Parts: sequence; structure tokens; C-alpha cells
Amino acid sequence: MRDHPGENLIALALIFVPLSLLAFGGSNAVLADIEHQTVSVQGWISAREFADFFALSRATPGPGSMLTALIGWKVAGLAGALVATLGLYTPAAILVYGASRVWGRWRGATWHSAIERGMAPIAAGLLLSGGVAVLRASPGGWPVWVAAAVATAALWQWRRLPPLALIAAGGALFGVVSAFYR
Amino acid sequence: MEQAPENATAKDVIVPPSVLIGLAGIFLAFLRLGCTAFGGGTAGWLYRDIVVRRRWLDDATFLTMLGVGQALPGANGLKATVLIGQHLHGATGAISAFLGLLSGPFVIILIVGAVYGEIGEHPILHAVLDGIAAAAIGLTFDTGLRGAVHGAPGLAPLAMTATTVVCVGILRWPILPVIMGLAPVSIGLVLARRSRR
Repeated sequence: MRDHPGENLIALALIFVPLSLLAFGGSNAVLADIEHQTVSVQGWISAREFADFFALSRATPGPGSMLTALIGWKVAGLAGALVATLGLYTPAAILVYGASRVWGRWRGATWHSAIERGMAPIAAGLLLSGGVAVLRASPGGWPVWVAAAVATAALWQWRRLPPLALIAAGGALFGVVSAFYR
Repeated sequence: MEQAPENATAKDVIVPPSVLIGLAGIFLAFLRLGCTAFGGGTAGWLYRDIVVRRRWLDDATFLTMLGVGQALPGANGLKATVLIGQHLHGATGAISAFLGLLSGPFVIILIVGAVYGEIGEHPILHAVLDGIAAAAIGLTFDTGLRGAVHGAPGLAPLAMTATTVVCVGILRWPILPVIMGLAPVSIGLVLARRSRR
């Protein structure tokens, strides 16, 4: 971490603002880069904190990865949390606002739907990579990999499974097992 | 909203576009949404609250707004939030909706983070969070897999998804050059397949 707090705020903005414009498929699509930049390159948080922040952000409400707020807080307090969160969400919001003003007359154009259809499989790949990034960072070891695979299979089988119930079940199962076997 | 006549609350009436919904009303509606939208999928929560419950928009307008943002980066729910805010009250409406949606979750996650910091190193806490992370990874994988399989049929899109996973997930390359390399190929393949028809 740098000595001057302002430098940390600039470093946070430099990481999250570009990622905002790359988040095809939502903020979970850029988890791999967030992990790489904040854990490996900057060393702001440990792999354990990254995995825990991810879990906390998915167990609380919100439109995506509020783990950015926790990373920002760790780096530079409230100002850091604000810079990281607004950095990740504002550029994409401004882009869609601007695009909507001209998009209307493009709608149905060949190249517009080609971008839409062309970016969809890349967005899917980014989301899968985001999941892999958290798995690799998680210090929980093989039980986490197995539980993630089981959760994926269950969701694939039962589409209507409520996300919050699955999250509560995962936390309860791991908590109870660790309380009895340690 | 307070000046709305009695009959405007009837279930079958859509709020007409001429009725300007106040900035505070927009902010509060999205604040409530942000605090209650668990487990991702904000677009679904938006639909149930803004379209079905409040009737600020009709189905067709909502679907158009979801469609506009499809080719752009960012979470679908957040993009729809900006567009709905704009539709209801112009640029300031978009800002109100955006800040409304984010401020609740922002405060909540900082409180939860502070509690986490207080508890510190505790084996059972870490185990619980590992279990939550595993379930949440499952949610992310499921969304990605559904996008890969149902989003665009055919082998070429699947190859694009697989290449992205290899480059970003396994080789851990930065996302920017991967997108810059793969996007033109993927979009080009879509165009090439069209022109062959």
C-alpha cells in the first residue's frame, strides 16, 4: 500500500473504471481481473479476504458485486469504498444512458444484433471464468470445489431453486460440519 | 404520486407517461428494490416491482429497455434501472434511480463488512463463508452455462465461450486483450453465418 491516501484512491479508480466497461454479463464477469489486480498485483487483500468478501457480497442484496465496496474500504476507508463502487458501476451506466439516446434507430440493424449475439458467448465465458477465479482464490480447498459443483448441478436441474435458500444451505452446511469436525 | 386521482390506483391502469413521477419517489422505489433484490437477477425484481406492482411502465417498454442494453457492458438490472429512471424523469431520474439502487446495498455491505472485521479470524465463520461462496459460485456457473448453451446455438459460440474460459479462467490473462481479440472474431462469425443464408 502507498503512503499517500490519494494515490490509493487513484489506483482504485484505475482498476475499477476500465473493468466497468469490460463487464459484459455483469460485474461477476470481471471477478478474475478484480482478484488478480487486488490480491496478486496490488496485494491489498489476501486470497482469504477475497473469497470471504465475495461470499458476503452474494449473501447481501444488491445488483452485483458489492465486494468492490469492501475492497475499497480496506484500501482507503469510506472514500475508497465510494471510489471503488462508483468506479465499477458509473461508466457502464453512462454508456447505456448515452447509447439509449441513439440506439432506437439502430435497433434491428444487422451490426447491432451481430454485436449482441457475438458478445453473448464471450460474456458467458467471462462469468464462468469469474467463478473459477473465486474457486482458485478460496482457501477452503476441495470441499468448496465439490459444493460448487453440486450447487451448479442442482441449479441446472431445478431452475426455480431460490438463490437465497441455496446460499443459506451452503453456509449452514459448512458451518455445522466445521463445528463438529474441528 | 400524492396528487394521483383515486382511480389511478386501480390494478389495470398504467401510470400515463404525462404523469411525472417525482425524483424522491424514484429514489425511494429503487432504494427499496436494491435492499430486497437478493441473489442477483435484479432485472426480474425490477419487473415485479416497477412493472407489475407500481405499473410505472408497460411490459413492452420494459422489454425494450432490457434489450437496448444487451450489447453493452454492465449488469442487466443496473442498465435497466438507468433507462427506467430516464424514461420516468429524464437525466435526473436516471441519476436518482442509479443512486437509489446502489446506496442500500452499499450501506448494508459496509455494515456486514464491519461485523466481519470485528469477528476476525474464526474457523466457523470462515467455514460458513466458504459454504456461501460455494453456493454463490454455483449461481455464477449456472448463469454462465445457461448463457453458453441457450444464448446462441451452434458450435462456434460454444468455442468462443471455451476460449474465453481458457484465456481468462485458466491462463489468467487480463480481460481487456482477451475481449479485444475474441470480440471481432465472435461478431465476425455471426455476420459470416448470416451472409451465407
